[in-house]
Amino acid sequence: MIDVFVAGLRANSCTVSGPMNTDEARATVVERASAHLLVACNDDVPLPALVDGLRQRGVEVLTPGDPAWAERLADAEVGITGARLAVAQPSAIALAAAPGAPRSTSLVPSVHICVVRVDDLLPTLADAMIGVAAGEMPSALTWIGGPSRTGDLEMITTLGVHGPRAVEIVLLD
Amino acid sequence: MLQRALHNLDRRLRTAGESAAAHPDWKDRAAAIRRETLLDLDGWLDRLEHSLVARGVHVHRASTPADARRVVVELAQARGARTVVKSKSMATEEIDLGNALEDAGLTSVETDLGEYIVQLAGERPSHMITPAIHKTLPQIRDVLAKEAGTDLAVDREALTAWARDRLRGEFLRADIGITGVNFAAADTGTLVLVTNEGNGRFCTTLPRVHIAVMPVEKVIPRLADAGILLPLLTTHATGQALSNYVTMISGPRRAGEVDGPDELHVVFLDNRRRTLLGTRYEEMLACIRCGACLNVCPVYRNVSGHAYDSVYSGPMGKVLTPLLSGGTEGADLPYGSTLCHACSDACPVKIPLGDMILALRADVPDPHSGARRRRRIFWTVWARAWSTPSGYRLTTALGRVSRGRVPGLQAWTSTRELPRPARESFRDRWAKEHA
Repeated sequence: MIDVFVAGLRANSCTVSGPMNTDEARATVVERASAHLLVACNDDVPLPALVDGLRQRGVEVLTPGDPAWAERLADAEVGITGARLAVAQPSAIALAAAPGAPRSTSLVPSVHICVVRVDDLLPTLADAMIGVAAGEMPSALTWIGGPSRTGDLEMITTLGVHGPRAVEIVLLD
Repeated sequence: MLQRALHNLDRRLRTAGESAAAHPDWKDRAAAIRRETLLDLDGWLDRLEHSLVARGVHVHRASTPADARRVVVELAQARGARTVVKSKSMATEEIDLGNALEDAGLTSVETDLGEYIVQLAGERPSHMITPAIHKTLPQIRDVLAKEAGTDLAVDREALTAWARDRLRGEFLRADIGITGVNFAAADTGTLVLVTNEGNGRFCTTLPRVHIAVMPVEKVIPRLADAGILLPLLTTHATGQALSNYVTMISGPRRAGEVDGPDELHVVFLDNRRRTLLGTRYEEMLACIRCGACLNVCPVYRNVSGHAYDSVYSGPMGKVLTPLLSGGTEGADLPYGSTLCHACSDACPVKIPLGDMILALRADVPDPHSGARRRRRIFWTVWARAWSTPSGYRLTTALGRVSRGRVPGLQAWTSTRELPRPARESFRDRWAKEHA
């Protein structure tokens, strides 16, 4: 199931790393984000001490509780989020909006890094939707398959129209 | 151009067809879900309204396009809105909402890249999934460069990047985001939106107010049904196993959330749809707007979407346009069909489009019946004349003298060419050479 998930995401132009443990995942995310000046990070990322790790590397971190969130988010180059769940077929991650998990973290910055727990991976969308519908719905549940794309120019795929140009998935086991 | 774009699309859809073949019963399940909805459409709509209201959503019912336009324009004016960003939606095209907003003094910006190009060019979409499918890359460059006021390269990446920057500004400035709805689940009160570019997400994330225009047949009984319908929609629309983004919205922003609209409005649009219930055309309301019937239609593939002169084109447009207008628009469309039934075979929810096109020829008066009668008279006279050698010789001699300029045929020859008659007939040449 993990193989199908990873293959599907890669076919949709995502980069995928892992599965790996918490320390490795934190190091991976910090390493990836450290090349950028301003990073937005949701509270639902399942990596303890991630924000501290980023700040120690000299990266400025914007969190949803920050009063300047709305006005500074447009300057963030990377958005880091967790995921409510993921499905292998078709391959996609699902992000639930919440006070610590704004919708725009995975939308406005050019790069979206999503940390996905392998335990949250389900085999198919049809199965997942039965469970999702039975639970409490968030104000917005956003399914993401890869970087923003369009086929509007002569039916040839072009990435990064409005949303992120790159989606990087870090699998956590 | 259309041929090349459709060829690119064909390649994608073939791959998708192969993956869909792995679930042969999915079309049956989807068709069953859609028909279950239609059995009690009003009941599901009431349940949907109840669920939406419980989530703090404002529901408006509009029976005509004018009603729907008035609801949206009044909402915008009451909030002092100036700029509206729109995500691509056939329903808003159907009610011509963009122009209504402009007429009311608002700026309405289409944010789907293809739709934005079409809006800047002052045209209408020619395909429901890829609105600018009729334009080549150099043509698109010309449209965008004119708006930019600078030269832009004929390069997909560069043009996309320019549009990204330009539209990002519009999203940040907009007071209202307007979208359509792909499915609305009655049980949970959830709006499901399918997009690839992310413009739909922006429209439902940044502006303070989100208004969704929902044709009544978009309701589905259960959110879980989306698990079947979504992959079927996207594989048939673009060949993707799932669209890049699927947004499931259950109410406005909640306490403590830092983005999302404060207000969410849903406009149920009827526009004669409910009058189709119980008729032979009821199943047309099962349509999920994937565009599969357009892509396989031999007529659409040759004439492109603009030739239909209606919002909905292709086989589904031939059926829906006369039905939604009560026969006043598109009454001639059912005649522009080869009746090959490729559309019926392609439809993921098994709508018998070919049968409906044929039935509409009987049910909707043909606005061109006069022309058709004249054509019949012409062919009768022609057949009589060419049944005798003297009649044949006389008419062909006349044809040679007139060089194809036949009086009374201007209506036909203004857009078509008559074959040029030879200077000398075969009989004359034979007689001369064997004299």
